[in-house]
Amino acid sequence: MAGEVDLCLRAGRTTALVGESGCGKSITAAALGGLLPRGMSRDRGEIRWAGGGERGPGKGLAYVFQDPGECLDPVFTIGSQIREALPKEDRGRARERMTDLLRTVGFDEPERVLASYPHQLSGGMQQRAMLAMALAGRPRVLVADEPTTALDVTVQAKILRLLADLQRKENLAVLLITHNLAVVAEIADEIHVMYAGRIVESGPVEMLRAPRHPYVQGLLKALPRLDGAERLEGIEGSVPPLGRRPPGCRFHPRCARSRAVCAEREPPWTACGPGHRVACWACGDGGWA
Amino acid sequence: MSGPLLQVDSLRVTYGAPGRRVVEAVRGVSFEVLRGRCLGVVGESGSGKSTLARAVLGLEERVDGRIEFDGREVLRMGRAEIRAFRRRAQMVFQDPMGSLNPRLKAGAALAEVRRVHGLAKTRREAAAQAADWLATVGLDAAYANRFPHELSGGQRQRVNLARALCVGAEFLIADEPVSALDVSVQAQILNLLKSLQETRGITWLLIGHDLAVMRQMADEVLVMKEGRIVERGPVDEVLARPAHSYTKELLSAAPSVRQALDRRAAERAV
Ligand SMILES: Nc1ncnc2c1ncn2[C@@H]1O[C@H](COP(=O)(O)OP(=O)(O)OP(=O)(O)O)[C@@H](O)[C@H]1O
Ligand SMILES: [Mg+2]
Repeated sequence: MAGEVDLCLRAGRTTALVGESGCGKSITAAALGGLLPRGMSRDRGEIRWAGGGERGPGKGLAYVFQDPGECLDPVFTIGSQIREALPKEDRGRARERMTDLLRTVGFDEPERVLASYPHQLSGGMQQRAMLAMALAGRPRVLVADEPTTALDVTVQAKILRLLADLQRKENLAVLLITHNLAVVAEIADEIHVMYAGRIVESGPVEMLRAPRHPYVQGLLKALPRLDGAERLEGIEGSVPPLGRRPPGCRFHPRCARSRAVCAEREPPWTACGPGHRVACWACGDGGWA
Repeated sequence: MSGPLLQVDSLRVTYGAPGRRVVEAVRGVSFEVLRGRCLGVVGESGSGKSTLARAVLGLEERVDGRIEFDGREVLRMGRAEIRAFRRRAQMVFQDPMGSLNPRLKAGAALAEVRRVHGLAKTRREAAAQAADWLATVGLDAAYANRFPHELSGGQRQRVNLARALCVGAEFLIADEPVSALDVSVQAQILNLLKSLQETRGITWLLIGHDLAVMRQMADEVLVMKEGRIVERGPVDEVLARPAHSYTKELLSAAPSVRQALDRRAAERAV
């Protein structure tokens, strides 16, 4: 895994990893060892900064998961869970910090939310509570796994702006794992698109104006649009499960442009612009796209 | 037959235990869904969409108002009637894994519900029919032998739909049915929902927050905020002339990829 996925997270930048959701989480979990920036290692399931322990306030790395069930404990109120996550220096004015955090993630009634148990909140509210909890620790790296799927777009936009703000002000490095290209276009600086466990195209976010890989092009076409056609254009077939990945280019069984070589050998990287590269036989030297 | 299949009048749903603060999740909502149509419900997080869906299917306790399905009042149905209602009106959830039994192969899952509802006499008969139902949702008969974990998210969602359809569901409530799926597969599933409406006359209540999806799928749309309906109408009209400030906000907050890139490019330029 580590050899296949090569990412670098920078302070103050948002890096998006766009990948299919079917195995989004498992991939994330499996890949994290390889994904984490140099200087970090895994230690009994916890991520630590190597050499130097915890620097500055906060814990260094925080996660926001797609599924609130994985983060929120059903038997404690949101308030007591956020309080747990506050760094020591914030404990003195915990109440104030907590209501601030909840307001930042878009709650108008922070007091009610603090007193609520997770099941008393809607799906989107749980996600926002989780984000508040992640931010409570003043992290330096935030890994956000589909943080906004269940949110309505106005809240989503607020949270994305918030993430962008934090990222600038606190010099936060954000790794955004998502399948929502509109979200990526909105806040990411760099984007890596992954298919069946491999990165197939990487570049500055502007690459979304003219992506080269057929999968990425297909993703863009598959998005419902306010001014779009009556019928959506999906990509035929589905993402192969972990055990049944095809040889050669993993996308070739679903690709309209595939030729014999695609089924035989893995495509090499081809540079196609500053920082922009693609792994596709059709797009490479001597290609046919 | 035309006319409304579902009629909801002054629906209120509250949550809260004795001694606790009461939350009014749905505050007097009225609407109807015509046969063979798709009504979209959009609204901000916590506005009461999922609560509304559960209440319509008789799954909430503190409910006030009137819910009529095919002319019969849901809140007053007896046991036998509720049973038939649960067969005709069903829910499709966001997470297709959570609603499938992990130990049942797809074919067996369909055979099982058909036997439970007395629609197939023998196992053999039920199994033979299962293949047909899988075909209805675009799955090859070979998938009958797969367990849920051997299916992709989109395929699971198809099995879920087949399971509802095979016992004769006419009215389906889909609560964010594609938001957990890969974008490349979302389009396939949305197209499938649409074609089930067209070919089998399925009536839909589609819950979501993506107006672009609603434009593809829904005939009419309701916009909810804080437990109330703040705007309603044919989708194209609501999109062209949003009246409520929340709807406007919803529209401007959902840019396309290109719009988002353009806006940021413009910001960088200043
Ligand atoms: N079991 C419960 N107990 C108490 N309050 C609840 C419960 N379930 C929901 N609520 C409250 O009811 C309101 C509506 O929640 P609901 O889940 O219907 O929202 P929603 O529109 O589906 O939101 P989302 O888009 O985030 O899924 C919220 O204020 C929520 O906190
Ligand atoms: Mg909901």
